[in-house]
Amino acid sequence: MKTVSEKITFDSSLTLESGQVLSGFELMTETYGELNSDKTNAVLVCHAFSGNHHAAGIKDGDKKPGWWDEIIGDNKTIDTTKFYVVSLNNIGGCHGSSGPVSISSELGKPYGASFPEVSVSDWVKTQKMLADHLGINCWEMVAGGSLGGMQALQWAISYPEKVKKAAIIAASSKISAQNIALNEVAREIIRKDQNFHNGEYLAQGKLPTKGLKAARMLGHITYLSESNMRKRFGRKLQDPKNKVDAGINYEVENYLQYKGEQFAKSFDANSYILMTKAMDSFDPAKDFDNDLVRCLQGIQAKLLIASFDSDWLFPKEYGLDIQMSAIKAGIDSSYVELNGDYGHDSFLFYSDQYASALKNFLNSNG
Amino acid sequence: MDSQLQSIVLDWIPSNSKVVDFGCGDGTLLKTLIKKKFVTGYGVENDPEKINDCIANGISVIQQDIDISIQNYKGMGFDVAVMASSIQCLRRPRNAMRNILQVANECVITLPNFGNWELRLGILNGKMPSSAQLPAKWYETKNLHLCTIADFEELCREESFTIKKKVYINRAGKSSWLASRFPNLFAAQAVYLIG
Repeated sequence: MKTVSEKITFDSSLTLESGQVLSGFELMTETYGELNSDKTNAVLVCHAFSGNHHAAGIKDGDKKPGWWDEIIGDNKTIDTTKFYVVSLNNIGGCHGSSGPVSISSELGKPYGASFPEVSVSDWVKTQKMLADHLGINCWEMVAGGSLGGMQALQWAISYPEKVKKAAIIAASSKISAQNIALNEVAREIIRKDQNFHNGEYLAQGKLPTKGLKAARMLGHITYLSESNMRKRFGRKLQDPKNKVDAGINYEVENYLQYKGEQFAKSFDANSYILMTKAMDSFDPAKDFDNDLVRCLQGIQAKLLIASFDSDWLFPKEYGLDIQMSAIKAGIDSSYVELNGDYGHDSFLFYSDQYASALKNFLNSNG
Repeated sequence: MDSQLQSIVLDWIPSNSKVVDFGCGDGTLLKTLIKKKFVTGYGVENDPEKINDCIANGISVIQQDIDISIQNYKGMGFDVAVMASSIQCLRRPRNAMRNILQVANECVITLPNFGNWELRLGILNGKMPSSAQLPAKWYETKNLHLCTIADFEELCREESFTIKKKVYINRAGKSSWLASRFPNLFAAQAVYLIG
């Protein structure tokens, strides 16, 4: 699989949905496969809340492959021998694109808490600029799970003639009070870390890793299903040789501690807050008097909406809600309810039913 | 679907209408309706393999159980609802019939006639009957509520469903004098336009 990683600089200023302006910005990108001469085989994949540009393959020195490696690759569901797959880190993130940890040219130091609020439609706007930069006039498909699915939906709404198919997986047209509440608890945990310093921790030479770790531990529970945790851990006691902390009794505790720790090493606290805020505020119907049907009416892309039965964070009703509005709007849209063992995280993993639906959708015509 | 049956359905469904096909299978009928009558079409199906066929065919499909979900399709602006050889697979066919007439102004229903002589012979032989239209064995059939033409039309009378048009088809998939004159005995399938 031909893989190219590239950081692309955009010099033109970007007015964000909030009204704030970035004088320029950078996007960290990764592409897989090759763009055909007509530039008609391009697929954009949008990452979820904590994802990044590294969607497929194993990088030198890494143990784990990219976040959607089970789906993207040569002869896989999104087949890189046929399609040119574009992946990027969204702005506000912390893996190479402009975000709180990057240096502001005006401040001469990292943005920190001063990085402006970003929204899903801001991300889509920057992705459109990326498409223009790559010479891609129309995506064969834009796909993503969770917050990535929201970007796929926003693409179909914002640029109707630039997307042929949008795969909106384990996503929603707006999240619930319960989702916002869970996000706010995570943010509160981060803010209350004594090293947070109102988000200016980098300037203080500190990192709120404890808060970030605990926030991730909470989040991680919401990404899994109860049955998956039962099957995977049950009430098994942790082997004393591999305990990350002396106070740990159960495997599930050890697992969450470990996962939280790893995450806190690689993620930025301000990015965590920005990304979850973008998720909270996503509601494309708000520009259409809160009428989702009207919001969807202009869509020209075919939609595939997929929900997973074990996902309690973004339950199937979220997907069905988009589907029923799409029917009212009279646009092409299919809805599938997939079996998935992993709760909300099911969208990351291969299953026959999931892969067939996505593959048939990507390869369908007419 | 037999070609004659399909041509009747195609004839009854207005061009450019918005159609929902409950139990759409692999989406063949919808694909034909989209191609020949320029309809905006959606299928409702619960079999994952058939859903995949629909997606591969470029047909909009919703994975749902008709018994549970049919009432959710009210107020969606459908002109015609189709239920082709599906009604006998439902757990609550009367409920589905009541709802489907609120989903669309007109409904096209096709059903296999359990009163056909071939099936009656099967019962006389002391065996669960089978035919070209009802090929599955009793232990693997998806049919839960089989009815005869007489049964179905009785339900329509009781519920005050107006049968606007009907055609009876024989075992060869053709309309014939016998099937029209004695449908409950000689028709293998019936197709109705109900309003």
